[in-house]
Amino acid sequence: MEIFQHFALLLIGGALVNNILLTRFIGLCPFFGVSSSMETSFGMAGAVVFVMTLASSATWVFYNVLLEPLGVGEFLYIPAFILVIAALVQFVEMYLKKASPGLYRSLGIFLPLITTNCAVLATATEAVKPGFFKMNMAYGFGFGEALVYTVGVALGFGFALMSFAALRDRLEVAPVPNAMKGTPMAFVTAGLLSLGYIGLGSWFGL
Amino acid sequence: MDITLMIKAIAALSVIGVVAAAMLAGAARKFHVEVDARVEEVLAALPGSNCGACGNPSCFTVAMAIVAETMPVTACVAGGQPVADTVAGIMGVEKCEVAAVVSVRHCGGGLAATKRFDYSGLQSCNSVARLAGGDILCPAGCFGYGDCAQACPFDAITVDSRGLPVIDLARCTGCGVCIQECPRGAQGLLAMIPEEAAVVVRCNSKDRPRARKGYCSMCCIGCKKCEKACPNDAIHVVDFLAVVDYDKCTGCGVCVEVCPQECIDLTGRMAIAPATELDGRADKVDGFEPSRDRNRDDA
Repeated sequence: MEIFQHFALLLIGGALVNNILLTRFIGLCPFFGVSSSMETSFGMAGAVVFVMTLASSATWVFYNVLLEPLGVGEFLYIPAFILVIAALVQFVEMYLKKASPGLYRSLGIFLPLITTNCAVLATATEAVKPGFFKMNMAYGFGFGEALVYTVGVALGFGFALMSFAALRDRLEVAPVPNAMKGTPMAFVTAGLLSLGYIGLGSWFGL
Repeated sequence: MDITLMIKAIAALSVIGVVAAAMLAGAARKFHVEVDARVEEVLAALPGSNCGACGNPSCFTVAMAIVAETMPVTACVAGGQPVADTVAGIMGVEKCEVAAVVSVRHCGGGLAATKRFDYSGLQSCNSVARLAGGDILCPAGCFGYGDCAQACPFDAITVDSRGLPVIDLARCTGCGVCIQECPRGAQGLLAMIPEEAAVVVRCNSKDRPRARKGYCSMCCIGCKKCEKACPNDAIHVVDFLAVVDYDKCTGCGVCVEVCPQECIDLTGRMAIAPATELDGRADKVDGFEPSRDRNRDDA
């Protein structure tokens, strides 16, 4: 029960309380780039869940098996993680192209796009490196914890992205002043949405 | 400076790099997918600006479609004739005249279409389309709030008193902005036809004819009279909807005469039906007068 509670907290903490897009403002480029339609944001959300989970698992293994025993993890984690994530996404892309062309087409441009996405790197780093993010304190995640935390963050990313896409969908027909149409209004809306999420975080005294 | 630490760092990154490189090299071989060499050539011939005028997200998808022969060699709108010639050379196709297209509306409903509810919100098709599927019962018909008329960069579209947008073919350039703006444009309410096309079917409902008759008096009923009357085998009823084959159509107008629903119109920029502001049956509606005011009240 204790364990279950711990994992549930990790999941919800990662998804909602510390929502990567709206309370920490990481990965904002896709947040504005692909949120103009529900369809693309759904594709992006799916690709993010997929890639983040893979990236965190792979970097966890590399960090704990290679970097940490050598004593270089403390300063080498970012270049090493970028290398691992980039190679991994390339590999997955090749594999999907062969094994599942349908999925490859539906993920489309999003897969190579998030190779270099900051949200993916940030999540992998938080999940793997002890003391990187305040939520971890100086406590290193086990593999299971890293995985659950990553899935939580990715779900939070997808949820925020799709709810924002739905809002922008409504904004299309809302009587917005001409000067504010399009991206300016999206920025204002994102700010208001973000207030809500930050409020949720403060509620738990974080 | 701690040399061992540096060596360890270099070693660690090298190990990761070598492992990743080996993995990718293996994957590139194992998961190799054969790509037609012509795709690269066609892609090089296309403008490469991913402008989207052809309706595809990128030049690469177009190149693949051209090689797969699901799209014609003339698919590139921005490139025009020179690009079409190059692509035709690569593909070994001879005929590659870029056909000028104009926009046309596949709906004759307007006031004849039954309303589902009285809509009094923002006077916009895109707005009403989001409200319970729109205010007309027909799932394919024109709402008539004139989003296309406002979007048209060439002022070629006006909404007439039937509540239908009329496209002035003398001004239409075939840019396709109206189709993108129309909430039902992707379903075929507005479509591109060759500029020399002479007739157009004013219905695109995918329902059964009985259902269509229920909500619109101007619909195609799939009676096949036009199909039988056509001397050139150019009009066919497909899924209970008349469809014109513009390659065969000579513009004789027989189908327009026989259609009991008055659902087929003469159109066209070329000689057969001179361009007028009144397309189709507009003149038969009582008190007809072209007007743009209908949508300008509170928009």
